[in-house]
Amino acid sequence: MSVSVEMIRRRWEETQGKDPLFASVDGMDCPHLPPADPKSHSLLLDRGLFRIFLPWPPKAVDGSNLDPEFTLEVVRDPTGCNLHPQFGLHSANPMVSVYRRPRPVANLKYVTHQGFGVFAFIGKNGLPASRDPETGLPSGMNLLSDARQPTLKTQAIEAAVTHLQFDGKLDDERLQRIVDFERQIHVAQIRHAAGDLMETGGPPGLGVRNVAGGREGLLGNNITNYVIPLGGPWKGNAMRESITRGHDVYMFRTFWIRDAMHLNTVGLGNPTKRTCATCHGMHMMGMDVANGWMDIGTTNLPWAREEPLNPWNSNKTRLPLFKITCKPKVPPHPFLGRVIYTQDPGRALISGKCNDVGTIVMQQLRGLSARAPYFSNGSAGTLRELVDFYDRRFNIGYTDQEREDLINFLSAL
Amino acid sequence: MKTLLASLAALFSAVTFADPPATGERVSFVSCPIVRDTSTVPCWLSEYEGVTYFLTLQTDVSAPVNPPWLGHRVLVEGVVSGEAAICGGRVLKPVALSVMQELDGSCNTMLPAEERYNLTFEPPRPPGPSRGRLAFGDPAPKGDATSAGSAPRDFTLQYEFDGLVVFRHAQTLQKILEAARATHAAEIRITGFRSASKLSNGRVMREREPIARERAEQIRTLLQGAGLDGVRYTIEVKDLSKRPNGADDAGRRRAEVSLVMPN
Repeated sequence: MSVSVEMIRRRWEETQGKDPLFASVDGMDCPHLPPADPKSHSLLLDRGLFRIFLPWPPKAVDGSNLDPEFTLEVVRDPTGCNLHPQFGLHSANPMVSVYRRPRPVANLKYVTHQGFGVFAFIGKNGLPASRDPETGLPSGMNLLSDARQPTLKTQAIEAAVTHLQFDGKLDDERLQRIVDFERQIHVAQIRHAAGDLMETGGPPGLGVRNVAGGREGLLGNNITNYVIPLGGPWKGNAMRESITRGHDVYMFRTFWIRDAMHLNTVGLGNPTKRTCATCHGMHMMGMDVANGWMDIGTTNLPWAREEPLNPWNSNKTRLPLFKITCKPKVPPHPFLGRVIYTQDPGRALISGKCNDVGTIVMQQLRGLSARAPYFSNGSAGTLRELVDFYDRRFNIGYTDQEREDLINFLSAL
Repeated sequence: MKTLLASLAALFSAVTFADPPATGERVSFVSCPIVRDTSTVPCWLSEYEGVTYFLTLQTDVSAPVNPPWLGHRVLVEGVVSGEAAICGGRVLKPVALSVMQELDGSCNTMLPAEERYNLTFEPPRPPGPSRGRLAFGDPAPKGDATSAGSAPRDFTLQYEFDGLVVFRHAQTLQKILEAARATHAAEIRITGFRSASKLSNGRVMREREPIARERAEQIRTLLQGAGLDGVRYTIEVKDLSKRPNGADDAGRRRAEVSLVMPN
């Protein structure tokens, strides 16, 4: 369950913008803008982005202020929210507004697994993992793009207050019903040019029945489980053969991964010669099997999508831009130095850590075709743009055939 | 003139063509890392005084020695091994690598694969998917619940130069947490050390002065953050930076954690 820009626009037309989806608190570029005007909802209508507002400085679990390792300045504020006297950084209740795609509410047994890679200490930095307040068990921290909520229940509590503006408190019974509902939803592509993905005897990694029945908490970056097992070459038509080749591109086509925070810093070296499945390694999901935030440059400059300005271009940059300056008391960011420009500081807005700037929790790859645009800031409008980002970022040099095959593979998930 | 030439020749010889270190000799230096691709996994090398050293291979997170980073210099502290050269580099074993924290854009050398430098053995892990297990075992295996009787009481965390906790410490911290819970430890004594490194050129690099305390206090904070409350923490610091010996300097960059049982 997710939402595409196409669905958002249709809902706008059907309700003249009165659907709760377009609530001023998060469905507008900023709540102070005129209601019922499509321009006030431009990021949602054009890129499927909701406003996420987070306290600055960040708060610890006990509500106290953290002392962030960096200072944060607003360089560009196209929505007017980050410098707004009521909603911005310098308001009485200082907030940072960033704009993000919602995460799919589906396949949650995988997203919240307690298997491989989930420990009391995060395998990527040694710091304590957040914990389930009810059980004390460590969380894989893969629910939200900044890992700020450890469980489905705590996420529901936060969403009720922020997104729904619920004035009360969800009781335990309601919370449990929400979680039970969410946990029964499984999503995967079922129709495709390759044929019916639900047919008996099809690839064991495709189709929603296989997703619902799959084993969670497994590392799939190996040739025993595979990330998305196809069970051998899928034959029958040209598209199936392309998907099989795309699977092999995903699993085996090496390239140099360089300057990616929380990937190159976790023992693999910088650069490391690896494949898509190195990071997108969770069996059946293609997300990270461990705590999965890293920076591949989707929000941090110089890699984030920023069209150079020129006198002939009427396009305006739509997302805010922040200047992050790491304080002298901490080491510089290993790959970006002490000054970082970013559209969204990501996990750093929660942890306050310099080396978390622009790190985003990677998400599952299921149902991709139905939920464009991609990346947390919606900067890739199609699967082609998504693959092209990686190609540019890591100088992969895909051939046309490899690119097409990889896109076909991703579209079948 | 002859004397001058002879002197110059002697000087040139001493500076440029110093005898390469013998097997068993320790070398410590700061230099740029170099990546050399191969037909399988890349090698990590570094050059010092005209000698190319092999540091390590790319493997995975379970490796005992992790490759350094381009974009940063690396402190290399190792012993010259008599093993056959790997990727054209003399093997250092054991070797400790510390990525220098400041960025250095001049460390940017990637060499292409060449037939003559291909590995003569199968690497512990291919560059793509594994064969079903990590190269050196699970860094933090589950399912081996620690019992009070078998739980270790003493732990050591080794650090890179000027370094604090990173990914590789998660395993040790997990073991401390499990052992403290299994044994109902009453007290956790943490000793943070500051060290120095004596380089082969005689220069001494000292870690930051507060690093010993930072190491000890960070461990306490992390254990508390993981829920290890109801136990007394005792912090000690030791400064070993006065007498680096160029032999076990890397091993002195550490913190020791001891569990004290209730009376």
